[in-house]
Amino acid sequence: MPLNIDLVQILLHMLNFVILAGGLTLILFKPVSKFLAERREYFEKLEKEHAEMSEENAKMKAEYEQKMEETKAEISELRKQSEKEAADAAKAYIDAAKEQAANIIKTAEKDAEDRRSHILDSAQTEISELVIEATQKLLSETASAERSRALYDEFIVNAEKDTKK
Amino acid sequence: MDISMVEKKKKGKGKTVFIIVWIALIAGLLAAIFLLGLPEGESESIKVIMKDGVLHETNRISLFGLIEVNPGLISAYVVTAVLLLAAILIRIFAIPKFKYTPGKFQIVIEKAVEFFSDMAKTNSPHKTGFVAAYIFSAGAYIFFSTLFELIGMQWITTKGNPIALPAPLADINAAIAMGVMSYVVILGAGIISNGIKGGLRVLKDFSLPISMSFRLFGALLSGLLVTELVYYFVSLSFVLPVIVGVLFTILHALIQTYVLATLVSTFYGEAVEPPKPKEAKASEADENAEKS
Repeated sequence: MPLNIDLVQILLHMLNFVILAGGLTLILFKPVSKFLAERREYFEKLEKEHAEMSEENAKMKAEYEQKMEETKAEISELRKQSEKEAADAAKAYIDAAKEQAANIIKTAEKDAEDRRSHILDSAQTEISELVIEATQKLLSETASAERSRALYDEFIVNAEKDTKK
Repeated sequence: MDISMVEKKKKGKGKTVFIIVWIALIAGLLAAIFLLGLPEGESESIKVIMKDGVLHETNRISLFGLIEVNPGLISAYVVTAVLLLAAILIRIFAIPKFKYTPGKFQIVIEKAVEFFSDMAKTNSPHKTGFVAAYIFSAGAYIFFSTLFELIGMQWITTKGNPIALPAPLADINAAIAMGVMSYVVILGAGIISNGIKGGLRVLKDFSLPISMSFRLFGALLSGLLVTELVYYFVSLSFVLPVIVGVLFTILHALIQTYVLATLVSTFYGEAVEPPKPKEAKASEADENAEKS
């Protein structure tokens, strides 16, 4: 045949290639393809897990932020309430203190008044006794009635002056 | 039954079918070779060295003492043996140690497989499994068999002369075998996928095996001739011819591998493409009518 074309040799080449193709496919191509597919699957799985984790993280972050906002609002509310309660308590305490102070003052004034009255009474009694004693003394010394009256009046006047002081 | 079990069973069945078809093909080809018988005598002698380089008619090699063949066939068998041995070694020693974070060697193997798988997926999106394996094998064969001539392996011809084994595809019989096989694969895929219509669709590209064969043969031959010319004209230089020869060979190996793989996957993709439904066809026809 022209160009040295030989049918038997063509078939021998075909046989050679069929053996090679089958061998390479079974020994090399399929195992490597299988490995590549497994690896692809593994990384796709990892990627999917990563995506899911990211999604979950984002969700958790959103939840956390929402909770933070809620907590902040709650804290703010509690703070306001506490401030109000503290203000009320302080006011009540001050009012009580004022009332107590007023009572103390009132009691003290009353005590002072009582003491003054008592002192005055005591003083008057004492003075009366002294006067009587002095009068008796004078009477014993000077038997004049006029002089006794004059002394008595003078004493009364002086006593009144002392009292006013 | 579990879905994964069903898939595994399906895969196992597919593998068994593949092995049966493979063995049947080998047996059929062997039978055809022996039925056709051994050629009688030797073809006419040639006088021009270049002609022998092209046609391999003078320097022939005995194949197991049964038949005299072109040196390209011996090259093809040597390449196949080396490739299969390398594949077995890789399968036994390298693949079990493959890691999800690959090393350099693993990357090379993975890239080779991925390159052809991706090409099959791109050009034949409907069915990719078989064509990916086919173009991987064809690509490996063309690439390494073209590089094989760089080794310059010596062999003894039937006349007792030593000869450097050429690239297998520089032999037109190898190129025809590759072209015809590729066409048969495409035709078979068309028939299996789409029945007679699919087969007819492929048959209309009857020039495909011829163009594939002669493209391969022509490319390898032109490389050989150009290299020979460079060797001739710059024979005084001892650097340039070597560089040019090596570069030409490597470029040929890469380009021819890419071209054949692309062509086969593209035609395969067209052959296995499911036919469009009638409604879609009718609407397309209406659109075309409106446009016109």
